[in-house]
Amino acid sequence: MSVWLSILPGLADGLTTTLRLIASSVPLGLLLGIVAALLRVYGPRPLRAVAATYQSVFRGVPLVVQLFVLYYALPRWGLLLSPFAAATIGFGLCSGAYHSEYIRSAIRSVPRGQMEAARALGMSHWTAVGSVVLPQALRKAVPGCGNEIVYLVKYSSLAYLVTLVDLAGAGRLQAYASFRFFEVFLVVGFVYLAMVAVVRAALHLLQRCWRRSTAAIGV
Amino acid sequence: MSEFVRLLSVLLAGVGTTLLLLAAALGAGFALGVPIGILHVFGPWPARALLRVFDLVLRGFPAIVLLFLFYFGLGSIEGIDLSSLHAAILALGLRSAAYQGQLVRGAIGMVEPGQLEAARALGMSLPRALLQVVLPQALRFALPGLANEFSIVLKDTALAFVVGVVELMSRAKFLAASTRQLTLVYLVVALVYWLLTQAGLLAFLAAERRTSVPGLGTDSRRPR
Repeated sequence: MSVWLSILPGLADGLTTTLRLIASSVPLGLLLGIVAALLRVYGPRPLRAVAATYQSVFRGVPLVVQLFVLYYALPRWGLLLSPFAAATIGFGLCSGAYHSEYIRSAIRSVPRGQMEAARALGMSHWTAVGSVVLPQALRKAVPGCGNEIVYLVKYSSLAYLVTLVDLAGAGRLQAYASFRFFEVFLVVGFVYLAMVAVVRAALHLLQRCWRRSTAAIGV
Repeated sequence: MSEFVRLLSVLLAGVGTTLLLLAAALGAGFALGVPIGILHVFGPWPARALLRVFDLVLRGFPAIVLLFLFYFGLGSIEGIDLSSLHAAILALGLRSAAYQGQLVRGAIGMVEPGQLEAARALGMSLPRALLQVVLPQALRFALPGLANEFSIVLKDTALAFVVGVVELMSRAKFLAASTRQLTLVYLVVALVYWLLTQAGLLAFLAAERRTSVPGLGTDSRRPR
């Protein structure tokens, strides 16, 4: 038992880095996802094509390759990113592409009458989108986007490939130092599992709150 | 230009290993995932409880941690000697089996319960009814999810280089370091992966169209 517990302190710093990474890339991903979804549904034709290309590229290329381009290839073009910035931007761009698919189909599932009614009441197009359509769509997108956030928690472990000592990276260092590969990686895995459980519980709570608030106004 | 062709030929030699890894992991995942999905729904409770633990670990651990666990972890146990390719196939295959098991479980849930009841009432044994009545319908429902799983596994094979498998990504890293053409190499690799993903997804769409049966589909899937 003490063998297992002795592994944990060495992972603390890595865990902090992983949590900071997740905390910064989840909002970035959601923001990109919302923008790309809005562009695909309401944007003018060229912007729709741009958004569709963004979705296709970032969902069709492995995340490692995206991270390597950001961290190793971009400096050649004069854009030098810190490992943390490269990882955050990489995770944000990739998960944004997935978020946007969920949000786009959620927008499409909002009844057309909602938009028409908002416009009939004198709202401008974008006010109607922002304060009538989007709030409803986001609630519907929670299961899909939540799944994507869970994926991001697990794929944040790729950060060590751009030299960041995150949870997976700290585990790797400790495994090499102690030669207890099996024990260390098992503990690391369970820490990720715990993070996933917390995220799932939080999403569940959010969904319940939102369901109650929408039930009250009868949407 | 000849420089570019040489670069491309070195990279493309890695595609074979990538495709081998993909086929082995997806194939093992399917071969195990179908019985796992059936056990999720129809299995006795000890089997279901065991599967939940299996699921928790294989779907809850990051792919990279699983790769480390299978290669370095299993490798450090006395008497087990896994090559990096075999460890990667095992890790990605079992992980995919857990995900495909959930897909099949969900797809079985979409088949109308009356189908199984009718088959049993006609005197079919349970295994036969599952194999000949429930599964053919369920697998059709599972196809879109399986297409998704294909693209996930394809992209996860790009992680196998961390345990030393020499596939597309690992060749790219080597080439990038030796030619100093980082931008070009990584962009070409991105393009190759993107093309493979798109080709695979098109193949799955074609499979969906080919196996579609009139009357079985979006309409009958809608809950009544």
